[in-house]
Amino acid sequence: MESIKYLLLSLSFVSIGFSATEKKGFDFGHLLFHHLIDTHDWHITDIPLGNGKKISIAIHLPYIVYDSEHGLRFFFLHGHNHEEKAKEAQKMGYHLDEYGHIRALPNSNKTVIDFSLTKSSLQMILVGLLMLWLFTTIARRYERNPNSPPKGIQSFFEPIILFIKEEIAEPYLGNKANAFLPYLLTLGFFIWFANLLGLTPFNFNITGSISVTAALAVLTFILTQWNGSKDYWHHIFWFPGVPLLVKFIMIPVEILGVFTKPFALAVRLFANITAGHCMVLGLVGLIFVMYLGKGTENFAGAVAIMPLSILFTLVIYSIEIIVAAVQAYIFALLTAVFIGMAMEEHHH
Amino acid sequence: MILEAVGLAKLGAGLGAGLAAIGAGLGIGRLAQGSVESIARQPEASNDIRGAMILTAAFIEGVALFGEVICLLIVLL
Repeated sequence: MESIKYLLLSLSFVSIGFSATEKKGFDFGHLLFHHLIDTHDWHITDIPLGNGKKISIAIHLPYIVYDSEHGLRFFFLHGHNHEEKAKEAQKMGYHLDEYGHIRALPNSNKTVIDFSLTKSSLQMILVGLLMLWLFTTIARRYERNPNSPPKGIQSFFEPIILFIKEEIAEPYLGNKANAFLPYLLTLGFFIWFANLLGLTPFNFNITGSISVTAALAVLTFILTQWNGSKDYWHHIFWFPGVPLLVKFIMIPVEILGVFTKPFALAVRLFANITAGHCMVLGLVGLIFVMYLGKGTENFAGAVAIMPLSILFTLVIYSIEIIVAAVQAYIFALLTAVFIGMAMEEHHH
Repeated sequence: MILEAVGLAKLGAGLGAGLAAIGAGLGIGRLAQGSVESIARQPEASNDIRGAMILTAAFIEGVALFGEVICLLIVLL
């Protein structure tokens, strides 16, 4: 009986619970920060009830933790705020740090690795599934009747696929373009979809997390080094055509260059998306800062700032939709450029 | 004393963000000037020029974003 109850409890991952609203002014920095970092639950909304209570609706995502004592563990934390969750985690023998990640208790010596399915990893899987469905549909339709004009969703994506093939892959990769085309297409569309998903309500901005962009950049880094020609390595370690002393100076510079390229790739995407989100949140937040910022309710000020704030948000949002596509394009383009440069055979 | 240091750090971060934006703005401005002029002179090469422009703009922007990220880290950490 107890185990059935426990099972039901762990399956109830959608939680609708009552908790007290915090009345302590408005901390905008805190709100901004929590919008930008990854979480272990998918918080939908809070509905205030008026009597100092609120209903919070959230989807709890599973914690998947490896520890050296119990092995792999799979559990949910059902608390509605950080303190409740920390207490539950304490009962299980873990420490919940300030970002909601599972850590070992300070005075224990077991190894704890947290690979939970967080909001961002869940949404990455969703984007992956969407892409799998979308592109297998398109590919299958193309395979079935290759000589008929594209129809439906195929006619929207075919020009984009051709654009990546003809404007990104072929000019920079030459006759090896087809070998790298699947990677470039995946990269371009994944980043584009992830960027757009981050702009819709309730969703996490996947590409606004440095670990995601860094992982993508690492893939590009590995591909670049793997496909590096003899000339590529020759240029790094023994730069041709310069005096002997300069050759030695060029070695560390060139080695640094190998690493700064993917680093810039990761930071560019991360910073662009994060900056856009900060701007949208900041402009919308202006209303709330005016309303609650000083601890007293200033309704007139909030109404006064509203048109300005909404207009600016609209403008930034429109730019963000363009940026979402441009950043995906630039990431794929630079990947093609880096791989192309590494593969190039020089003739001295 | 500590409060003052935090305030100074935020001041520095703000100034740094502004300077990085100025640098990137100047760089991309010069780039746009050059490419628009060359497109006007040789419209048939506009596709190649546009590609090179976007690529270079991405590099300039990348450098500026390094600066902005450091400023963000100063404020957050």
